[in-house]
Amino acid sequence: MLNTRVLESVLIPLGALLASALIFAVFLLALGKSPVTFLSLVWTGGFSSWFSIQSALQRAAPLILTGLAFAIPARIGLTLLGAEGAVVIGGFAAAAVAIPLVGAGLPTAIVWPVMALAAMAVGAVWVGLAGWLKHHRGVNETISSLLLTYIAIAIVSFLIEGPFRDPGSANKPSTMPLGSDYRIGGMFDSSVHWGLAAGLLLAAALWVLMARTPFGFAARMTGGNLRAAQGQGLPVGRLLVACCAIAGACAGVAGFFEIAAIHGQANASLAAGYGFTGILVAFLARHNPLAVVPVAILFGALDASGGLVQRRMEMPDATMLVLQGIIFIVLLVSDTMYGRLPFLNPNRSGART
Amino acid sequence: MTDADPIASLMIVFYALIGGAIRVSTPFLFVALGECLTEKSGRINLGLEGNLILGAMIGYAVSYNSGSAWAGVLAAGGVGVVLGVAHGWICKLPKVNDIAVGLAFMGLGTGLAFFFGKPYIQPSAPRLTSVPLGAWSDSPQVQQALQVNPLFFIGIILAVFLWWMLRSTRWGLVIRVTGDSAASAKAMGVNVDGVRLLATAAGGCLAGIGGAFLSLSYPGSWNEGLSSGQGLMAVALVIFARWNPLRCVLAALLFGAAGALGPSLQSIGVSFGYHFFNAAPYIVTLGIMIASARSRSAAVEAPRELSIIK
Amino acid sequence: MTQAKLSDCMPQIGPHPGGAMSLETRAMTKTFGALRALDDVSLNVRAGSFHALLGENGAGKSTLVKCIMGFHAADSGATLLDGAPVAIASPRQAQMRGIGMVYQHFTLVPCLTTAENLVIARPDAPGIIYWRAELQRLEAFMDRMPFRVRLDRHVADLSAGERQKLEILKLLYLDQRVLILDEPTSVMTPSEADEVLTLLGGMAQRGEITVLMISHKFREVKAFCDSFTVLRHGRVTGSGCAQDTSIDAMSRMMIGETQLRARAPRLTGEASGTTRAAAQPRLTLDAVSADDATGRRVVDAVSLDLHAGEVVGIAGVSGNGQSALVEVLAGQRALSGGRVLAHGQPFAPRRADLDRYKVFGLPEEPLRNAVVPRMSVAENMAFRSFDKPPVAGRFGLISPARMRAVAAGLIRRYNVQTPSADAPIETLSGGNLQRAVLARELSGDVEVLIVANPCFGLDFASVAEIRAQIMEQRNRGAAVLLVSEDLDEVLELSDRVAVMSAGKLGPVVAVEATDRDRIGREMGGH
Repeated sequence: MLNTRVLESVLIPLGALLASALIFAVFLLALGKSPVTFLSLVWTGGFSSWFSIQSALQRAAPLILTGLAFAIPARIGLTLLGAEGAVVIGGFAAAAVAIPLVGAGLPTAIVWPVMALAAMAVGAVWVGLAGWLKHHRGVNETISSLLLTYIAIAIVSFLIEGPFRDPGSANKPSTMPLGSDYRIGGMFDSSVHWGLAAGLLLAAALWVLMARTPFGFAARMTGGNLRAAQGQGLPVGRLLVACCAIAGACAGVAGFFEIAAIHGQANASLAAGYGFTGILVAFLARHNPLAVVPVAILFGALDASGGLVQRRMEMPDATMLVLQGIIFIVLLVSDTMYGRLPFLNPNRSGART
Repeated sequence: MTDADPIASLMIVFYALIGGAIRVSTPFLFVALGECLTEKSGRINLGLEGNLILGAMIGYAVSYNSGSAWAGVLAAGGVGVVLGVAHGWICKLPKVNDIAVGLAFMGLGTGLAFFFGKPYIQPSAPRLTSVPLGAWSDSPQVQQALQVNPLFFIGIILAVFLWWMLRSTRWGLVIRVTGDSAASAKAMGVNVDGVRLLATAAGGCLAGIGGAFLSLSYPGSWNEGLSSGQGLMAVALVIFARWNPLRCVLAALLFGAAGALGPSLQSIGVSFGYHFFNAAPYIVTLGIMIASARSRSAAVEAPRELSIIK
Repeated sequence: MTQAKLSDCMPQIGPHPGGAMSLETRAMTKTFGALRALDDVSLNVRAGSFHALLGENGAGKSTLVKCIMGFHAADSGATLLDGAPVAIASPRQAQMRGIGMVYQHFTLVPCLTTAENLVIARPDAPGIIYWRAELQRLEAFMDRMPFRVRLDRHVADLSAGERQKLEILKLLYLDQRVLILDEPTSVMTPSEADEVLTLLGGMAQRGEITVLMISHKFREVKAFCDSFTVLRHGRVTGSGCAQDTSIDAMSRMMIGETQLRARAPRLTGEASGTTRAAAQPRLTLDAVSADDATGRRVVDAVSLDLHAGEVVGIAGVSGNGQSALVEVLAGQRALSGGRVLAHGQPFAPRRADLDRYKVFGLPEEPLRNAVVPRMSVAENMAFRSFDKPPVAGRFGLISPARMRAVAAGLIRRYNVQTPSADAPIETLSGGNLQRAVLARELSGDVEVLIVANPCFGLDFASVAEIRAQIMEQRNRGAAVLLVSEDLDEVLELSDRVAVMSAGKLGPVVAVEATDRDRIGREMGGH
């Protein structure tokens, strides 16, 4: 029984990926492009060399974090789209809190943790708000979290163009740059920044939290049947808000690394769509924190090869968006296959009344 | 700030706000009516944002290539139907979550629009001509504000039609029965999935037309930043309008006014906080969601099959 | 077996154009997998009769009428209307033949008004509805009817009894001449039920309609029906004249000759009246009130003391606030007034309080209220224990192995039939699901037990077993609150009873000091 379920949850997403690849190949053929070239370019750009692997891993880091930011609330039954907003507002918080600290010349051992904590706290509060509204006001969390994302982006652009603008940033309004001393470098001489390590650590920790602790058990109960969880006296509201806050904190960490390791300052580049790709990552990983990691790396590699595809095949940068959209839809269609794979359920093929 | 007297600048803001509200509200109105129809049948389509963007792009491209803006509107409606049918078909499969499918279609619609829309960012296509309702006034601000697009009127007529249809036709009652109790609908011999498929397709069509308004009237060109969540806000708007097409018109105008606040203040030179005012529609939406979520009347009027209510 | 000639029961009515029709099934058989739900069932309902279809839960009554209505296709056998075989493949076709059914669940659409519900139910509903003319015709129809429901009201605002009346009105409006009613009075007060059944009986007697009523209330069958058929395990075990057959005979046909249900033994011990009054109640409800989503008060200042070693039964027609009361105690509905005390201390349905005061529950509809369908049997059985040793071990981490071991023990002890402890609990049958919940809730030390409709939809054996378990908890000294729509269950298990009506709780009296009639009157709010 258990093996069948595990097998299903691996085979069906893999099948969906394969089917999406076929559909995308047809799409390319219809446009007169070669799917084989596309595949080889993805291989070259994402997996073939140490350089491309580093590039893939670097892009995977924020996707792991935003994937977790969707997966954890999903376990408690919430469809939460707040990650993008939490990346932006968390990243901004990190950049903003760093300005006086850097100005005072404090060491990185203080500045980085403070920045990270600020990003996590702001992200947690921002997304936690969606959970609070859900429980205490009955507001649908999908829509509220999406609105919170738009609000976050608008507020951050307001702050970046107004009070926090670095006068030196003429073309692209930004906050004060961190300075090279305060930038987080690559791990072990690579170009992959420490955000990957943070993502791996958080994925493992959150797997333990959800699968092995009473908190995670209670959250899964709540997600599976709210009324039963209430009947067992569980603090449903606190669990909901806590899961949202964890999600916001994960996205906040992603925002922190975007600032400290990539951009060095907060600007419009923070809203890079990691939050939305993270949704797809989490769905493909079936909301399992550990499975988020390989799926995020796969999408990191796709992303890394995007530039190459764009140049060599003369295709627009939205190619990857189309591919992601196809994968997402095929994946959701594949949900209907659970319990219906003929070779896994030989005795259940009969009609059920 | 300008040096003109405060009353005059206030009037300018007022006219700009009215004109802006009408302009900004039209796409909201179409998407909201589409969403309203879909939700009345018991299905939620969060993917109308994708219909809106793809509709905008296709509408613009067809208008450019054919030379007729109205051909563009039709094409936008057509592509909306295609996305709606696909959404409706996938959602009828067992164990598929309609909210997630909506998200996926939002992504796919956006992706396709950006993919095929690249060549159309530069060229300029024929736009829909507006009706100059402000001709009676000699004030250029009034004339400017009351340049009303015909799609706005079509939207209003459509709202009245939908209201009448849902109330006084068999089709309308069947849609409401399906949205309220699938079991009852089945007992009446109604093909529940079929009704929802059609309602989603029609809703998708309206959202596509709303997109065509964006690219062919206001702002009136195709670019990747054209829509910023109007398709999603329409979902909240429908809840606020308590699934009544006539109230959708009022709600859309209110949203439009919120969206027009920043630009109209800019018209008298107040540019401080422009980005902050950009957040206004979202904040208004969220406020409305909070206010209406636990309201008694909303609870009574919500279609009971809606996954977002359960 | 008593096979009275049906023609003796009532005067013959010839074919009646535009009036009642006779309904028969011949040798109808239906199997679901290995289960033989109907086995060679022949039913004969004469034109203009008021016929009762009796049987235990699972006897095949619903399957039979669903085959007649075209929900299911029978494997073999035929349906005859006025003596002529008819093929009915869907409820729509049944409707066109003039057969209409009132289901146990409502088929009315809550957001639509009464008028809209009636018009849209018509197969010839016009494409464009001219409401003014339609409403005039509907008013005229209502004037002809024995009871009426306001046309402009939304169905959501009607009481359960009114909705049931509207369901029946709908069939009459659609000109259905064979009415199949599936336990139509279960949501009505006794007086409402009497009113409706009297009027339908009158229409049948005048030869306007034929009624086939599924029931298990012998009183109604004796008072209103002229003939009856009994099903057991999918077979006809008897039929005859309702007036000439004794209730004992009917009940033997229903449950078989072998045994009548043995009452669970009731030990009388320390919990006698005098000590009860002196002791601290285990659970006290003090003017507890609650509202529904639209702000209507559904539980209205309910006060009650629950003592150790007693079962307090709350009877009532469904929809009178009993479910809401249980939800308040289970933390599923907010308390909008009053307070709950356990051992005299403030009690909230939080985990800490549930554990401290050893409060357990068997909620109604376990799949909806007591289990997480997709989680495994082992996980579901650990709902009370996952955060405590031994399941939670070092650093508070849960050990799946220990969880499974605990579950395996319970599965054996309570005889839960499951492929494995890791199977999702939704794959279990109803009886096994309820046994799994019993195992979880009753295996520990229980001081307070809150039970709601525990035997709904279960087979005879499971019912007896579950009632015995509840009685055992009482005998061991637990304070039991039993909320049930099954009056027999309340009377069988309770030491004290009260009736809930329109959100209010009537006086709590010793079971010996009351009887069915008094409770019945109270259920109607008298």
